[in-house]
Amino acid sequence: MGCNNTGPSDLMADAQGLEGSQPVDLSKHPSGIVPTLQNIVSTVNLDCKLDLKAIALQARNAEYNPKRFAAVIMRIREPKTTALIFASGKMVCTGAKSEQQSKLAARKYARIIQKLGFPAKFKDFKIQNIVGSCDVKFPIRLEGLAYAHGAFSSYEPELFPGLIYRMKQPKIVLLIFVSGKIVLTGAKVREETYTAFENIYPVLTEFRKVQQWYGFIDILIYLSFLKFK
Amino acid sequence: MANYRSCKSCKSRSLIPDDVTGNTFCASCGVVQDFDNFQAHIGGFTGDTGTYVRIGSAGTGSYNNYKENKVYEAQKLIEDFMFKLGFSGSKSHEVKTLVQNITNGEYGAGRWFPVFVGACAYVVMRKDSKMLPIVEVADLVGCDVHELGRMIGRVVDFVDLKLPEFDIVNSFERAIRTSPSFSEVSEDMLKTMMKQGVFLVQCLIKWFLTTGRRPIPVVAAVLVFIGELNKVPVTIEEVAQELHVAVSTCKRRYKELLEKLVEVARVLPWGKDVTVKNIMKNASFVIQYMEMKSMKRCGGKGKSFDLIQTDIEGLVGDCFSKEIQYGFNSDHVEDCSSQYFEVEGSSTLSIEYPDKFQISQESLAMIYSNYLDEIALAKSTAEIGGSMREKGKGFDLEACTDWWKGKSDLSKKLLLRQILKKDVGLDATPPSFKMGCIASGKRRERIKAAKLRIERIMCPTSADTGCNNDICVFKPEKSKKKRKRGQVDIDWEDLIIETLLLHKVKEEEIENGHYNVLLALHRGQLPTWENTRELQIL
Repeated sequence: MGCNNTGPSDLMADAQGLEGSQPVDLSKHPSGIVPTLQNIVSTVNLDCKLDLKAIALQARNAEYNPKRFAAVIMRIREPKTTALIFASGKMVCTGAKSEQQSKLAARKYARIIQKLGFPAKFKDFKIQNIVGSCDVKFPIRLEGLAYAHGAFSSYEPELFPGLIYRMKQPKIVLLIFVSGKIVLTGAKVREETYTAFENIYPVLTEFRKVQQWYGFIDILIYLSFLKFK
Repeated sequence: MANYRSCKSCKSRSLIPDDVTGNTFCASCGVVQDFDNFQAHIGGFTGDTGTYVRIGSAGTGSYNNYKENKVYEAQKLIEDFMFKLGFSGSKSHEVKTLVQNITNGEYGAGRWFPVFVGACAYVVMRKDSKMLPIVEVADLVGCDVHELGRMIGRVVDFVDLKLPEFDIVNSFERAIRTSPSFSEVSEDMLKTMMKQGVFLVQCLIKWFLTTGRRPIPVVAAVLVFIGELNKVPVTIEEVAQELHVAVSTCKRRYKELLEKLVEVARVLPWGKDVTVKNIMKNASFVIQYMEMKSMKRCGGKGKSFDLIQTDIEGLVGDCFSKEIQYGFNSDHVEDCSSQYFEVEGSSTLSIEYPDKFQISQESLAMIYSNYLDEIALAKSTAEIGGSMREKGKGFDLEACTDWWKGKSDLSKKLLLRQILKKDVGLDATPPSFKMGCIASGKRRERIKAAKLRIERIMCPTSADTGCNNDICVFKPEKSKKKRKRGQVDIDWEDLIIETLLLHKVKEEEIENGHYNVLLALHRGQLPTWENTRELQIL
C-alpha cells in the first residue's frame, strides 16, 4: 500500500479534538461513567399558521395522515432527526443526540417550511427532554432497592421489568434494570442527567450483587470444617 | 284529586283511582269505570313533565331512572367480579366501599368501569399482601394488563396508598392452593409440595431468576417442577392456562430452573453427567444438597450440624462406599434410574474405577472416608448409625422418600435479606447481565480484530511479518469467494467499529455498543460510506 494523504492517519489526526476521545473528568463524574445522551426532544414556535396538506404535498420527506395524527411528520438525514409539525406552527424535534444537533435540526426544518412559502420564524426554541443511558456493569437487586427507597421507587415486575426511580433533586426519572443498565429521562439540561446519575450511583453500589465463589472449593472447605468440628 | 268524569252508572263525580289495579271506581256505587288511565308522556329532554310524576320510577330518560339503573348495574357487576375472583364477604365489602368512595357514590358505566373495579379488587388484595395476580384480574375484566396497571396506579394515587411489594412466594402458595391441577393431591402431600416450592422459589429469587421478570410464569414453572418431582400429573400447558400466562414464557422459565439445578448438581460426585434432560432423576439429590447447604449458615451450630453430618454421611458417603448395592423397587426401576448409576454401565458404583471421576471428586471421596473414620472414633456407633445407615447396605431410592426434610429456613417465607444470606450451592448472575457481558465481550473481540486490521493497513511491512491467518483484510472486490469459504467474516458492525476507531472514539464507548449515538456525534468528522469502502480497499 502506498502512502495516502487522505488515509487513516489523517482521519485519526482529525479526530483528536472529538468529545469521545477525551478522558472522563473525574471531578465532574466521580463514578467514572458518563451517561450517553440517546435522545433530545426540543420544541420551537414557527409563529405562523401552516397548511399541513400543502406541506405534505410539496415536501418529499414528509408524511401526513390526519386520521392517524394531526401533524406532519418530517425527517432529515443530517442530523438524523424527526419533526412533528402542527398546523398551529408549533414544531417538536426528536432524535438528536446533542443539544446543538437538536437546534441545528430545528433550524433546518424551519428553513424547509420557509422554502415551502410560509413565513416561518424561529421562536422560543427550548430543549424539553433529554434521555440518557449508561451501564454500571454490575447486577442490581431491584427488590432491595425498591424496599429501601420505597418513597422514590416503583417496582412492579408484573407490569414492567425495571425499577422506576423518581428522583426529586434533580427532578429526573431513572429506569433501573437488573442487568445494571440505567435510563435517565426528564432532564432539561445534560448536567441534570449527569448529576442524577452521580446521585444514584452510590445507591446502586449498595445493591450490587456480590460475586461469590462456590463449587468444589466451597464444598471442600465445608467438609474440612465438618472434619475439624 | 280533581276528576271531571262522572260515574257511568250513578253519574256521581266521586270517582277514585284504585291504588292496586290503577282502575277508577265510583265511591258512591262502587262500579268500576271503563279503562281510561292514559298518562301523558312524562320525562324527556327537559326532565319530568305532566300530571302523574312518580319520581325515579316512570318515564324514559329521567335522571333518576338513569342513575338508579347505573348504580344497580354497577353493583351487579361488582358482585359478579367478586364471585368470579372468589372474594370473601369482607373483601367484597372492602372493594364496594373503595369503589363507592372513589366515585363519590356515582359508580359508573362504560368500558372503563370494569377495569376500575378490577383495579380496586387488585388493590384491596395487595393491600393485605394477598397476591392476586394482575393477569388473572385482567383476564376477567377482559383488558390489557397495562391498561389495568395504569388504572391501579390511578387508584393507588387517589387513595394515597403505599402498596406492599409483590410477593412471589405468597403468589406461589396461592397458585398451588387454587390450581385445579393440584386439587386431587392429599393435604399432607400438598404441604410438602408447598414447602418444596417455597424453597425453590426463594432459590430462584437468590439466583436472580425472578428479578425484573413477570412472576407468574416463574410460579408456573416451579409448580410444574414440583408436580413432576412428586409424581403429580401436570403439564406446563395446563398450568399456564390456569394461571393465565403464556406457555412459551413458562417453558422458558422452566428451562432456566432446570439449567440452574444442573449447575448446582455440578458439585455432586456424578455432577458431570447431569444434564437438563436427566436432572429430574437427580432432582432429589440436588434439592437435598441445596437444603443442607442452606441449613449450614442459618441454623444453630450444634443442632443443625448434627443433622447435616448424618445427611452428608448418608448421601455422599454411601455413594462412595464399595459395599453398598444400589437397589431399586422393581416397579420403579425406570423412574429411579439416574445418570449416576449409568456411569459405569452397571447398577453398581465402585470406587475401583477412579478414572471415571474427576480428581477433585476423588479428593472429595478421600476427605469423606477420612471424615467417616474419624467421626466413627469420636462418636458411638449408635449415634453415627443414623437412620440411613441402619437401613443396611442397600440404598433403596424409592424407599428413601424422605429426601426432603423441609427443615431449611428457606422452606418458610423469608425476607430478601435473609434469602441472600443463605447459601444454596450456587450463586448466579441475572441472565440479562450475563448476556450483556457476552455481547460486550464480543464487541471487545471485534475491536481487537479491527485494530489489527487497521494496523495492517497502516503499517503493511510490520504487519506482514506477524501476519496471522485469522486477521482478514476486507477486500470487497475479491471477497466473494472468500466469504463463501467462510474465511472473511467482516460485517457492517466491524466496519462501524473500524470507522469509530479511526476517529479515536474510546474503546470503552464502542464496547457499550451505542453505535448510532457515536456515529451521530462524530458524523461531521466521519467519512461517507463510499470513503470507508475506499479506505478499506486501500
